Amino acid sequence: MSREQRALVGLLSASVLVLIAFFVIPMAVVATASFGSARGQFTLAQYAKILLDQYHWEVLGTTFRIAALTTVGCLLLGFPLAYYLVRIVSWRPWRRACVILLLIPLFTSNVVRSFGWMVLLGRNGVINDGLQAAGLIERPIRWLGTETGILIGLVYILLPFVVLSVGNALAAVDERLEQASADLGANPYATLRHVTLPLCMPGVIGGAVMVFTLAVSAYVTPALLSGGRVTVFSMLIFQQYSSVFDFNYGGALSITLLAVTLALVALANRLGPKEAAF
Amino acid sequence: MIRLLTRFVAWAVLAYLVVPLVVIIGCSLTKTSYLVFPPKGLTFDWYLAMLQDRSYGNAFATSTALAAVATVAAMLVAVPAALALARYRFTGRNMLVAFFMSPLVLPNVVLGAAIMQCAARFGAVRSLGALLAGHVVIVMPLILSSVLPLLTPEQRTLEEASMDLGAGPLTTFRLVVLPQIAGGLAGGAVLAFISSWINVELSIYSTTAELTTIPVKLFNYVQYTVDPTIAAVSAVTIFVAVLSIVVLDLLVGINVLAERHDPNNH
Repeated sequence: MSREQRALVGLLSASVLVLIAFFVIPMAVVATASFGSARGQFTLAQYAKILLDQYHWEVLGTTFRIAALTTVGCLLLGFPLAYYLVRIVSWRPWRRACVILLLIPLFTSNVVRSFGWMVLLGRNGVINDGLQAAGLIERPIRWLGTETGILIGLVYILLPFVVLSVGNALAAVDERLEQASADLGANPYATLRHVTLPLCMPGVIGGAVMVFTLAVSAYVTPALLSGGRVTVFSMLIFQQYSSVFDFNYGGALSITLLAVTLALVALANRLGPKEAAF
Repeated sequence: MIRLLTRFVAWAVLAYLVVPLVVIIGCSLTKTSYLVFPPKGLTFDWYLAMLQDRSYGNAFATSTALAAVATVAAMLVAVPAALALARYRFTGRNMLVAFFMSPLVLPNVVLGAAIMQCAARFGAVRSLGALLAGHVVIVMPLILSSVLPLLTPEQRTLEEASMDLGAGPLTTFRLVVLPQIAGGLAGGAVLAFISSWINVELSIYSTTAELTTIPVKLFNYVQYTVDPTIAAVSAVTIFVAVLSIVVLDLLVGINVLAERHDPNNH
């Protein structure tokens, strides 16, 4: 081994060992368990159970429906905010304040953020009271324990990722291109549609895939806002490991979720360059 | 017209980002024994109640110690890795980078389960070791991605100059490289610390009634019952978030969404 190779191995070994010990081996244990029966024989029964059971398809359907709507919601709310922060705000202190407002939720636990929504969306919560006072509804709407409630919470939790991803892409777009488009007679809408949006597409896709991936595997927010009435995929996994203790079946569920996630990430890498949150 | 509309939507979205946090802080100040917003009356009794319940103090201490140790451990292994990845071109380098970054996209619910099942085989289930193992794995990519962009060819030049002048690798690292990457590393460390500090989905598999972190403790309460004390504890975590953003700003400057025309921001 040359001096250079020794240095390379020396610098990399600690990190690789940590990842192998605490990441690769645990995941391998789960994967192995997923192909085993309670007696330890090789079987595909766990996966068959997932694939052939209607209930799992329903849960997967719910999970994907919530994740897809969350992604759409985050993009619809996140794009205007990103555009506002990068293109419209000119007073620096306010811009800085906005970025801090964007980061505070990101630095706060999902539990605390979902808790806030539990208070807001409760039967006698601020939102129902406000809507009733405004005469828009007669009786309180049930938000908690519905997919809508989970959706509101997840959009809230994941919104900063889209704003950061789209905002960074937008900041890299040459403003002169937009000006040229306007000079050539395009109205603001046409400029947005044909110039700005295509140019920051990698950021939009990067943010969307990140949000979708995190929404598919979210546990805390759905658990708190579902009130036990809506089941998403991650809840099935947690159940198996924390109360049922069926590690074979839990393993198969975990590997399924992992496969879905990896497929999404692979798709994202094909569609656009990797986007870091920071 | 479009700009005006964007402005209004953006303001509404900013309000949406802040309201749930304001609600929690508001609820923690109410004189009533149940949660209500806006608060009725104004009291700090629930914060006192939190301080008197030792279990909260313990959970805060566990969370903080765990996050600190995980961050330091991740720095010790990730900084050398970053140096190797920046310095050497070798086969499989890109794959190795992807491998190092992969914990970022791994569902925490899955990793937590995996570590629990694995720890069970070593009799370390629901222990501090199991907690720490998971947290180191998830914060390593954050450290790595904060240091890697700083190890540029220009930075390398100074490093070579130091070596040419007779300094050994360790002296060069301490006196040349470390000051160069210190800012980014500190920023990465704050991010790593807070990611560990607020984690629930990974920690929840390795905690017990005695050994618990503050977000997991909150999760277990909020699922079944909520009262103003829980709101006070939650409010404290929001204050910690604000504090860490201030620290991050002082250390590296919050340079997300950098303006294109500003040469100082990049």
